[in-house]
Amino acid sequence: MDLFPLWLSLRVAVTATALTLLAGVPLAWALARRRFPGRDLVEVLVVLPLVLPPTVLGYYLLQLLGRQGPVGGLLAAAGLELVFTWWAAVVAAVVGSVALLVKAAQAGFEAVDPRLEQAARTLGRSEWSVFWSVTLPLAWRAVLAGTVLAFCRAMGEFGITLMLAGSIPGRTQTLPLAIYDRVQADRMAEANALALLAVGIVAVLVLGLRRLARLRY
Amino acid sequence: MLAVELVKRLPGFALEVAWEASEPVVALFGPSGAGKTLTLDCLAGLLRPDAGRIVVGDRVFFDAGAGIHLPPQRRRVGYVFQGYALFPHLTVAANVGFGLRDRPRAERERRVAEVLARLGLAALATRYPDELSGGQRQRVALGRALAIEPALLLLDEPLSALDVPTRAALRDDLGRTLREWGIPAVVVTHDFAEAYRLADRIVIYQGGRVVQAAPRAELLWRPASEAVARIIGVRNVLRGTVVKATPDRIQLRWRGYLLEAVNSPTRAYLPSSGEPIAFFIRPEYVRLIRKDRGAPDPAHHMNLMAGRVVDEADFGTTWVLRIRLDTPGAPAQGDYDLEVEVPRLVYEILEIDRDRWWQLSVHRGSIHVLPA
Repeated sequence: MDLFPLWLSLRVAVTATALTLLAGVPLAWALARRRFPGRDLVEVLVVLPLVLPPTVLGYYLLQLLGRQGPVGGLLAAAGLELVFTWWAAVVAAVVGSVALLVKAAQAGFEAVDPRLEQAARTLGRSEWSVFWSVTLPLAWRAVLAGTVLAFCRAMGEFGITLMLAGSIPGRTQTLPLAIYDRVQADRMAEANALALLAVGIVAVLVLGLRRLARLRY
Repeated sequence: MLAVELVKRLPGFALEVAWEASEPVVALFGPSGAGKTLTLDCLAGLLRPDAGRIVVGDRVFFDAGAGIHLPPQRRRVGYVFQGYALFPHLTVAANVGFGLRDRPRAERERRVAEVLARLGLAALATRYPDELSGGQRQRVALGRALAIEPALLLLDEPLSALDVPTRAALRDDLGRTLREWGIPAVVVTHDFAEAYRLADRIVIYQGGRVVQAAPRAELLWRPASEAVARIIGVRNVLRGTVVKATPDRIQLRWRGYLLEAVNSPTRAYLPSSGEPIAFFIRPEYVRLIRKDRGAPDPAHHMNLMAGRVVDEADFGTTWVLRIRLDTPGAPAQGDYDLEVEVPRLVYEILEIDRDRWWQLSVHRGSIHVLPA
């Protein structure tokens, strides 16, 4: 059986989750702790991918990142092509999952008593140090839960990926797309095996999360 | 030397205070919501005032005019927060060493060990905050603040998180610690007894303003106004009418009696006749006149009154009697006129539980006139 869709999905989900963490944690912290102009707009933009139909998102991303689009045009000028490559699947996964991480991490940061952060400041710690030694250690559970959710969502991303990366076997056909493809081609045994793999990976992750959550800090 | 002058406007509240202190321990006292914690946050640099100046020793922390606002990291102020704000994910030793990160490891460990030993916390070094009692948490918070050798120590309601029996013991403990370490401290409290026990100078806050700042004894015996007297919990704050005022005596009419009070020689107050006047009589300074020694002598017993015990409360070592005077008219304090506090022994010897009618006398020096 061709396991390429599994490896691709893992590679896409790991890359997307890393990017989501990189962008999502600072964003969640800013939303939880800072007042800045346009804050409400940012909150809405973050949640939008959760409520919009994935095909609509995919359509707009295609408009934005396609060869004729404003961002895609710049990339093309630099000799880079995004649409219908595996990086497009990464972009799709990030857009589809970033809200889950941001909302979970934001709630985690908001639950940290601001007095603890102020205490750290009076004890000479910089904002950077306050975050790493107080805020994050007290909110890591929420950040981790958000990360696992985002990873699972990235693994399962279908609609945006289909629009933006296509379903090219051996290039952009991720696990969910492959399952759909096998069912369409009436190759039920393969569809069954791939579906079981997807269930297995998510189950292991969620169980692992429950174990970690039992740690104190 | 501490000089504080602050203006901070918030939605629905304005803080506008100025006070100075050269004493080592200052208490900010007043009801909740008076702006005490806000003042501490400004001193620590966690909040930027709209205007004013904060000077600690020879260091300017804040000066609106000169555009100076030191960030909290550079003030070296030890802040013991209300509820302590200990880091729950760190051990006692790590909490105390939290502010020493920029020091070499060996020095940091030595300093932490020294602080823990001085506060009697050495045995708890590896515990976490949720494994400590309230009193132990308070000492860890104090240790964490003291470890950085602060220029100023701030304590916000340091005893309010404790239960009543521990509270009294820890209050005296805290007072001793503050004096031993010799670091200037500002203590916020809404308990006057606590302010009086811990501080040398008391600043009274009400509604975002300072209503009086004075050495503690002066405050207790000479509150600046009726409002101050009420805030610090003075009992028998009463209102009469001036009959005659001279630089050393004030005669006033109250509940049908003509009372004579001493006018303060340093703060002579000369209201004209017929003006309303507030005064107070401390319950423990009212004398009950014994009936087995003949009729009272007006030369010896000044400000003579008579009335009946209408209510009483047993405080263990003392009894508090509520007396309603015989004069007709509405009583001054609800259903009674005066509160009188007598030692338990006196209560028993005079058999007050059976004998309810008494003549009372108050020395003119024990009637304290409150300037309007």
